[in-house]
Amino acid sequence: MNIPTSDDDLRSRFSSLLGEIQSGLETMGSLVLENLDRAGIAMAESRLDLVPEIKNADLAINEMYTRLDTSTFETIARQAPVASDLRFLVSATRMLYEIERSGDLVVNCAKMLEREGGFPDNPLLRARIADIVAAVGSVFGQCVTAIAELPADAGITLDAADDVVDDLVSILYTEIGQQADEIGLTTAVALTRVGRFLERIADHAVNIGEHVTYIVTAKFPNAD
Amino acid sequence: MVVSAPTTTEIVAQHLAGKRVPIGSIVFRAALLMALLTSLLILVTLLTSITAGAVPTFQERGLDFITSPLSLDPATAGVWSGIVGSAGIAALVTVIAFPLGIGTAVYLEEYASRGRLTNLLRTNVRNLASVPSIVYGLLGLAIFVRVVNLIGLSGTSSGRNILAAGVTMAVLVLPIVIITTSEALRAVPQTIREAGFGVGATKWEVIRHQVIPSAAPGILTGAVLAIARAFGETAPLLVIGVATGFFAAAADATFVERVTGSYTALPVVILSWSKQNDVQFADTLAPAAIVVLLAMLLTANAAAIIIRNRFDRNQQ
Amino acid sequence: MTDLTEAMSISPSVPEPGVVARSTPRVTLADSPSKHPPETGPTGEAVFDVRNLSVRYGDNVAVAGVSMEIHKNEITALIGPSGCGKSTVLRCFNRMNDIIEIARIEGSISYHGVDLYGKSVDAVEVRRRIGMVFQKPNPFPKSIYDNVAFGPKIAGFSGDMDDVVRDALERAALWDEVKDRLKTSAYALSGGQQQRLCIARAIATNPDVLLMDEPASALDPIATLRIEDLMQDLKHDYTIVIVTHNMQQAARVSDRTAFFNIRVDDQGQRTGYLVEYAGTGTIFTNPNQQATEDYITGRFG
Repeated sequence: MNIPTSDDDLRSRFSSLLGEIQSGLETMGSLVLENLDRAGIAMAESRLDLVPEIKNADLAINEMYTRLDTSTFETIARQAPVASDLRFLVSATRMLYEIERSGDLVVNCAKMLEREGGFPDNPLLRARIADIVAAVGSVFGQCVTAIAELPADAGITLDAADDVVDDLVSILYTEIGQQADEIGLTTAVALTRVGRFLERIADHAVNIGEHVTYIVTAKFPNAD
Repeated sequence: MVVSAPTTTEIVAQHLAGKRVPIGSIVFRAALLMALLTSLLILVTLLTSITAGAVPTFQERGLDFITSPLSLDPATAGVWSGIVGSAGIAALVTVIAFPLGIGTAVYLEEYASRGRLTNLLRTNVRNLASVPSIVYGLLGLAIFVRVVNLIGLSGTSSGRNILAAGVTMAVLVLPIVIITTSEALRAVPQTIREAGFGVGATKWEVIRHQVIPSAAPGILTGAVLAIARAFGETAPLLVIGVATGFFAAAADATFVERVTGSYTALPVVILSWSKQNDVQFADTLAPAAIVVLLAMLLTANAAAIIIRNRFDRNQQ
Repeated sequence: MTDLTEAMSISPSVPEPGVVARSTPRVTLADSPSKHPPETGPTGEAVFDVRNLSVRYGDNVAVAGVSMEIHKNEITALIGPSGCGKSTVLRCFNRMNDIIEIARIEGSISYHGVDLYGKSVDAVEVRRRIGMVFQKPNPFPKSIYDNVAFGPKIAGFSGDMDDVVRDALERAALWDEVKDRLKTSAYALSGGQQQRLCIARAIATNPDVLLMDEPASALDPIATLRIEDLMQDLKHDYTIVIVTHNMQQAARVSDRTAFFNIRVDDQGQRTGYLVEYAGTGTIFTNPNQQATEDYITGRFG
C-alpha cells in the first residue's frame, strides 16, 4: 500500500483524495464483476429477462467512470502529484478506461444473447461458457483485489491467471467448430464472439495488473 | 615521446592558480587599527591624569569628600552640594522632559496626519536639538527664573534656584527625547501595528500594549542620553545663576527652603574649583569631583542598560 | 488529528463576542451571528457579499468593480499577478485599509447582510469577528502565552484565559510543540511555528472568518504544507479567504478561486480587476477566460 495515512501526513486532503480514487476504482471493478456474474447466469440459463438489468448496471458503471475520471484529472491539475502519487494518478486514468471497457464487453455478451433470442440448449457449450465466465471472473476478481492491495507482482500473477482463460476459449472455439452443423452458422458466430468478448475482459484485467505493478515498482512487468 | 594535450583538470588548475598580495587591504586595515589605537590612547591618557589627581583625595578623605558640603578650605571641601544639585536637576528632567518628550513623539509618529505641518514640526524639533545650550540658559533666565519668582518660589535665591535650573535643563534635553523616541517608534515594524489592529485592538491599545513596549529599548537609550546631557551641561546653569562659589544652606533648612535656595551642580563645582587660587582645588579636588560625576553617569547608564535588557529579553 | 478534536471537546468555549464586557461602549454588529454554526459543511450561504467594490489610494485606483460572494465554511483563494489588488480587496473584508489614511472605498461589502462600511459599524468590532493572518509571521515581541491572550484580554474577556490560550493553540496545531514553554518569547519559535502562533492569536478572539494574506510565502515547503493542512481543518469552523502568489497553493487548498488581473489605461495607470471567479476545479482545469488560462499555464503577459 503506497498511499500514506500516517498522522504526520502533511497533505491529508491529497491523501484522502487518492484514497477516494483508489476505492472508487475498486468499487467500479466490483460492479463489473457483479454484472459479469449476472451475464453468466443469463447465458447459462437463457434468462433474457436479465438483459435490461445488465444494461442498467452498466449505465451506473459508466456514470462512475465519468465522475472518477474528472476527479482524477482535477486532482492531477490541482495537487501537483509526483513520484508514486503521479504514477498512481496517471495509471488510474488508464485503469478506469480498462474497467469501463470490461463493463461494455459484459453488455456485449448480453446483447448477443438478446439478439439470438437465447442460446441453443447445448449442454456442452453452455457448460464451457459457464467455465469461461468463472475463469474470467476469477482473473477479474484478482485484479480488483490488486487495485485494493497494490501488490508489486500483480502484473505477473494476472498474466499467468489469464492463460487459463485463453486455454478454455481455444477449447470453446474447437467445440463450436465441431457442433457448428447442429447449432447453425449464425449461432456459431455469435458464440464465438461471446468467447472473444470474455477473453478480452480477462486481457483488460491483465492490463490493470500491469498498471498496479507499474504504480508500485515504476516498471512494467515485461519491460525488461 | 607523445606530448599529450592538457586535461580539463590541468587547464582549470592553471586558471585558478595564483598568489595575490593584497597591499591595499593591508594598508587600509592598518589605518583603521591606528585610528582605534589613537582614540584609545587619548581616552586612557585622560582617565590616567584624572585618576592620578583624584587618588590622593580619596585616600586622604575617603567618603568624607563625598558627604561634605562646599568649603573654602580644601581640607574640608566636599562635593555633596553638587551631587544633590545634579540629582535634583536630573529628577526634574525625568519628571518634565520624559513625559512631554515621549508624548510629543508618540503624537507626531502615531497620530499626526502626514503633511507639511507635521514635517515642519519635525524639522524644527531637529533644529532645536542643535541650538547651543547657552541659548537655553538665556531662555531659562528670561522665562523660568521669572516664572519661579511670580509663583512665589523665589526663596532666598531670587528665583535662581534648582526649580528654574531643572525646568531649563528639561527644555534643553526635550528635543533629544523627542528625536530618539521618534526614531524608536519609527523602527517598530508596521507588521506589529497591523497584528494589533488585526485582533481588534484600538489605536490606543496598539500603541500602549505593542508599539511603546517594542520601542522601549530605543526610548530608554534616548533617556540615558538626555540624563547624561543634563548631568554634564554647565553653560546654561551659569547663565541662570547657579552658585559658583561657597554657599551653605542653614543646617535646619526645610525642604522648601533648600529647593528654593541657592544650589550648585557637579560640573559647576568642578569648574569653580579649577579656577580657585589655591592650586590644591584644581590639582586634586577637581579631578576627584570629575570621578564622582563619571561614576554618577555610569550608574545612570548601567541602570538604563539593565532595564533595557529586561525589555529585550522578551523580544529575542 | 484525532487528539485535536478530543482536546477541543473537553476545553470550554472561547468568549462569545457581544457577551464580553468592554470598558468603552461600542456599537456592535447586532445582526451578526455570535456563534459558529454546527458543523454542517459548506452551506453555500454567503458570508460576504461584495458589490462593485473599488479602492483608491489617493488618486490611484488600486482595484475597481469587484463583485463576488464569499461562502461559509469554504476556502476562497484570491490569485493574480503582483499589483492586481488581491491584497487590497482582502484588507477591505476586515477594514484593515482604514488604518491607511489615503485609502478610500467605493461600492459595498455586506457581512451577513450588514453593511461593513455602514455608519454605525465599528472597525474594531469588525476585526474581532474577522481575524487576519499576515504575510510575514508577526508575533508580538512577547511570550507565546501573551501573544494568544492579547486579543481576548483587550476584548475584556474575564473567564479562564489559560483555557482560551490552550484551545486556540490546539486549533492551530501548535499546542503540543509549545505547551512546555508558553512563557518563552514567541521569537524563539521557527518561522512556521510563529505563523501558526499568529493563526492561534487570530482564532483566540473567536472570529468566524479568517483572512490570510500570503500566509506561507515566508515559509519553507514543509511548514507551508503544515499550514495548508491546518487550513483544511480550520475550514470546518471558519470561513477562510486567502491571498496567495502561489497558484499551486490556491489549487491545492481552496474551494473557490478568484483570478485578478491588471488593466493599464492610456495614462499608464494600473488598476486591478476581477477576471474570473469560479470553483477551483473549474479554474484549474477549464477556465472560462483566456486571461485566466494564460496566467495559470504560465503564458502570462
